Amino acid sequence: MAERSIIDQLDDAVAAIAEGRQSDLTNLEPELSALVGVAQDLIGLPRETFKAELQQQLIRRDSMSSPAQQTNPVRSMSFHICIAGAGAAIDFYRDAFGAKELMRLTEPDGKIGHAELQIGDAVLSISDEYPDYGTLSPKTIGGSSVKIHLDVADVDAFAERAIKAGATLVRPIEDQFYGDRSGQLADPFGYTWIVSTHLRDVPVDEMQKELDKWAQERSAKNSYEAGINEPKMRRENRHAVTPYITVHKPAELIDFVTEAFGGIEHFRATGSAGGIHAEVSIGDSIVMIGGAEHIEPMPTAIHLYVPDVDQVYERALRAGAKSLMPVADQPYGERSGGVEDAQGNRWYIATPFEPLQTIAQDLHTVTVYFHPIGAQRFIDFVTNAFGGKELMRHAEGEMIMHAKVQIGDSVIELGEARYPTQPLPTAIYLNVDDVDTTYEQALKAGGTSMLAPTDQPFGDRNAWVKDPFDNVWYVAAPVKRQSGA
Amino acid sequence: MSQVTEPEERLLIEAAQKDPSRFAELYEQNFHRVYAYIARRVRDRAETQDLTAHVFHQALANLGKFKWKGSPFAAWLYRIASNAIADQAKRKVRESSDQPNPLSESSTATDLEKVECRARLFSAVDKLPEDQRRVIVMRFADEKSIREIADELGRSEGAVKQLQFRGLENLRNRLNEK
Repeated sequence: MAERSIIDQLDDAVAAIAEGRQSDLTNLEPELSALVGVAQDLIGLPRETFKAELQQQLIRRDSMSSPAQQTNPVRSMSFHICIAGAGAAIDFYRDAFGAKELMRLTEPDGKIGHAELQIGDAVLSISDEYPDYGTLSPKTIGGSSVKIHLDVADVDAFAERAIKAGATLVRPIEDQFYGDRSGQLADPFGYTWIVSTHLRDVPVDEMQKELDKWAQERSAKNSYEAGINEPKMRRENRHAVTPYITVHKPAELIDFVTEAFGGIEHFRATGSAGGIHAEVSIGDSIVMIGGAEHIEPMPTAIHLYVPDVDQVYERALRAGAKSLMPVADQPYGERSGGVEDAQGNRWYIATPFEPLQTIAQDLHTVTVYFHPIGAQRFIDFVTNAFGGKELMRHAEGEMIMHAKVQIGDSVIELGEARYPTQPLPTAIYLNVDDVDTTYEQALKAGGTSMLAPTDQPFGDRNAWVKDPFDNVWYVAAPVKRQSGA
Repeated sequence: MSQVTEPEERLLIEAAQKDPSRFAELYEQNFHRVYAYIARRVRDRAETQDLTAHVFHQALANLGKFKWKGSPFAAWLYRIASNAIADQAKRKVRESSDQPNPLSESSTATDLEKVECRARLFSAVDKLPEDQRRVIVMRFADEKSIREIADELGRSEGAVKQLQFRGLENLRNRLNEK
């Protein structure tokens, strides 16, 4: 007889035992005969399904026999979860959680219709996705609201093993006030597992006290964080010229700007007298919105450059604005329409026929439009006070119909006042390099001081100047730190 | 089946007597013992399963009556098992009177040692490396051929035989450690 390998010889013996044949063990070498002995004892190894099912039966029977639960029609509860790639998930749960596969039903293409895993004393059912039956996985749905809780003997070691197998720690393993040491793991298939080891029993009223304390600390922390944010205003997107729109009902204007123009509120503070200061971005720009019932409003005209004027115009009307001018192609190179919001601000909404930056390099989404009486003198003032540079003008005789002037990294637009609603003086937050110098220049150019340069608690140095056309310029720069000598 | 000390076992029993849902731990501790005890006397798998189920249902139902007298909980379970086997045998004898009762109802010390040893072996299977465990379970519990296992696992017959060999080797080493 040809020499068979020890592995084959062992299998021959196992096959004989399994079939109940007598096998002659006397010829085997001692090494092999010891293994055959183990195999003999293994015959009749209990089936895992039997062990798990008997346990389930006992649990059910127990809940039936417990008087407190006799009124409860449910015998037990277990999970059935759906996973895209159930096969890979079974491997993962085995490696990560020590799950034991009890059974699986597989379609010819390998798709798993039903599989059962034993995890601890529970049986978890898993299937692949069956969209026709409404069986969808977290990956398809975009998450799962259910978290599964595993009570384990050693949560730290357990988490370490799971992480090695590919789980992600989403909440650290920590001692908790309710007496557990626990954390949370995300598996690669979209389920979150709370893992814990019970350390000590905590009475419910004590847990509630701890929860109350935690809630209080959280709210204190939130208001503290809001507090330290208060003086910090958003400087990104803040160009040299930012309109400061003062109205009776600033909160309503913020809502309007958000709804009509897709504005994003970045900051809002309410002063002790109830006045609001807020900053809202629209496109690449910021508008500041402030005021209160007792503060004189300063409505503003804005040339709002948007990608789709028709859509924005419609949205503005839906948000409560009234039309000043329906959308139409204009001879001066844009398609535009105009609206006035409930607080009297005028929004000239426009989509230029050519790219914005080819009209003027620093033209921004929000461009302030001035309607002074005496446009030429106004251009002279901004030139002398703020270093403005005229970029273009369209005039009919002496009358300036439209002009663009560059100030810092912004462009302002203006046209001679010629309607009853104008001149519509405006407030501007003007970011400059040096407040004191600009303030001096503005006064020399004909401005009136409203506030000499002052360091403000919110981190800016401010000087307020009213120009001869009743526009208010809040000249600003960050407070300079004392040089450390 | 991990070994528990006597005080630990007493605590488990008291806990289960107060709260029957804690019976799961006693079940986990003793399942393989009871199964091995019955399997040693009853060769048929279906019958072994029926009797094992019967023993644990009885144990759960009568847990309140269990009184600690110094002998392990397993001894109590063995007694329930022994009675169940005897009842079953008597029923069989009545059903076919030509069969003599083949069972001895007394368990000698060596007999119980062998049962414990086999229960330890069954429990040791759970701790094998997963690929070996699957092969051993399919071969000995599910009674599948090497070929069937190879097909199901998508591996070669040679690889399955190799895993069977390593699994048995591992089990023998683990038993020798005790």
